[in-house]
Amino acid sequence: MSNIIFELKDVHYSYMGKFPALCGIDMTIRSGEKIAVIGANGTGKSTLLQLLDGLIFPDQGNMTAFGERLLEHSHDDEKAAHRFRKRVGLVFQNADIQLFCPSVREDIAFGPLQLGVAEKEVKRRILEIAQVLDIQHLLDRVPHQLSIGEKRRVAIASVLAIDPDVYLFDEPTAGLDPLTVRHIIDFIVTANQRGKTIITATHDLHIIGEIADTVYVFGRNKRIVSGGSSESVLNDNPLLELNNLIHIHRHQHDGQEHVHKHLPLEEH
Amino acid sequence: MSKTLHKRSDFIKRSMLSALVFLKDATLSEEYANRKGFLQSLDPRIKTISLLAFLVTMISLKSAVLIGTLYGFCLILAFSSSIPIRHFLGRTLFFIPFFSLCIVLPTLFSTVTPGDPVCSFNVLGINGTLTRPGIDGALLFVVRIATSVSLVVLLSLTTRHSELLKVLRIFGIPYIFVLTVSMCYRYLYIFATMVENIFTAVKSRVGVVSHHRHGQNVVAWNIANTWNRTTQMSEEVYMAMLSRGYTGEPRLLSQFYATPKDWVWLLSSLIICAGLFYSGHIL
Ligand SMILES: Nc1ncnc2c1ncn2[C@@H]1O[C@H](COP(=O)(O)OP(=O)(O)OP(=O)(O)O)[C@@H](O)[C@H]1O
Ligand SMILES: [Mg+2]
Repeated sequence: MSNIIFELKDVHYSYMGKFPALCGIDMTIRSGEKIAVIGANGTGKSTLLQLLDGLIFPDQGNMTAFGERLLEHSHDDEKAAHRFRKRVGLVFQNADIQLFCPSVREDIAFGPLQLGVAEKEVKRRILEIAQVLDIQHLLDRVPHQLSIGEKRRVAIASVLAIDPDVYLFDEPTAGLDPLTVRHIIDFIVTANQRGKTIITATHDLHIIGEIADTVYVFGRNKRIVSGGSSESVLNDNPLLELNNLIHIHRHQHDGQEHVHKHLPLEEH
Repeated sequence: MSKTLHKRSDFIKRSMLSALVFLKDATLSEEYANRKGFLQSLDPRIKTISLLAFLVTMISLKSAVLIGTLYGFCLILAFSSSIPIRHFLGRTLFFIPFFSLCIVLPTLFSTVTPGDPVCSFNVLGINGTLTRPGIDGALLFVVRIATSVSLVVLLSLTTRHSELLKVLRIFGIPYIFVLTVSMCYRYLYIFATMVENIFTAVKSRVGVVSHHRHGQNVVAWNIANTWNRTTQMSEEVYMAMLSRGYTGEPRLLSQFYATPKDWVWLLSSLIICAGLFYSGHIL
């Protein structure tokens, strides 16, 4: 019995048949792994996560999820759809898209209610999750009037309420203050320790060491250019530079020019 | 380019923007519904039923004094629900009764409503005579409109759209309708913000849009652009719903709780209605 969750073989995807977004991806993801997908803008990270979440399907190539081939019509059957949705949850890059209910409380409740969880249990989960993510005071607010960081936490809460086995995070820390970033990292690490599989797409190399054991680098050709343990990838400067993930910084110290490389957000 | 034209197009743009911002804040942001106040604290179902009861009672009444009393009661309710009286009066008293006055104006006169003459006048050779039943009828009509508008405004100002929609469930309206309409409201807000941002972005890039032809192009381009974004957004939102297990039949939280306070309020409003009805029809 293998514990493989997702297996992708030579997967291709293009938007409307014209705009290629993934060109031959091979990937194997096992239960309980922590994986990061990094790459410059437009290299197909979000597309990959939507594929893994069964929202779009490969044009070419083969993809299996939980040992079954994932096809366009796999989810036509409500039971099959619910089984899959209970196991995989995606936190979208754009929280405005993800939060479509009139109040935070209802947004958190939406997932479990669709999946047939009893209302009493849903209400219990809402309170518990609100406490974990520190959003008790936001429960009756309107989601679209929250700040970006608050929206992000609510978006995570809405997926957490489903309690899936696999979490897909699309840029979970973009545009957030350091403390909120810290909270989200802690959340990811704890979830993984509880046995959850975590797949995160990000540009933020700082957080990779903590949120991933394995890192895949997506290149501009929309394929995986490298994959390996997080240390080996993080120490491969030429690779990171080539893929727009670090930049060379030039400045002067005491009249002497000084050149060094650093991560995008590192202090100069 | 003449300066006045520039000023005018700038004025149009500014007033368009401010209208948008007004619309967004006044109707979509639900400012009063989010305030703390008496009506806001009630269960929306109970609130709707009690205000409906007032409305029905009011329609059955024929005394301007009694209806006026009810109107006074509406003002008290507005006050206790942190709605500024000026805002409330602005919404209820001035506009709609003004129009209704135009409708009832002719009935004031003896040619339309015969009766005791109150006063007569002669304008440009046309004789007019105001009659007592005419004035009473008009007064009754205006008070009636003002009161019914007040009741409706009270309900809509103090209840969130989404809750108001959910109340429709009592009348058997399906969930999918409730969900769709409440999502429309929500995305209207986002689009209003989006258009506002596009305007600001265009302005920051090209400076003031000085030529009005150019301005028109910007507007046309924006409409196309917004349309594209809208369709894309609806696809993405649909994906977000799918991702959380939506399969075509939405299930929503039923989160109304009637507390003892709600029942006390319902009882008192029914007593008030009965009292008004009694004094209007039996006394
Ligand atoms: N709805 C769409 N229609 C057409 N092309 C699209 C669409 N969404 C994405 N693309 C294209 O697919 C490619 C991959 O996009 P994707 O959003 O997956 O990139 P990403 O790695 O998530 O980028 P980012 O870091 O900016 O979020 C890009 O070239 C993009 O232009
Ligand atoms: Mg992306």
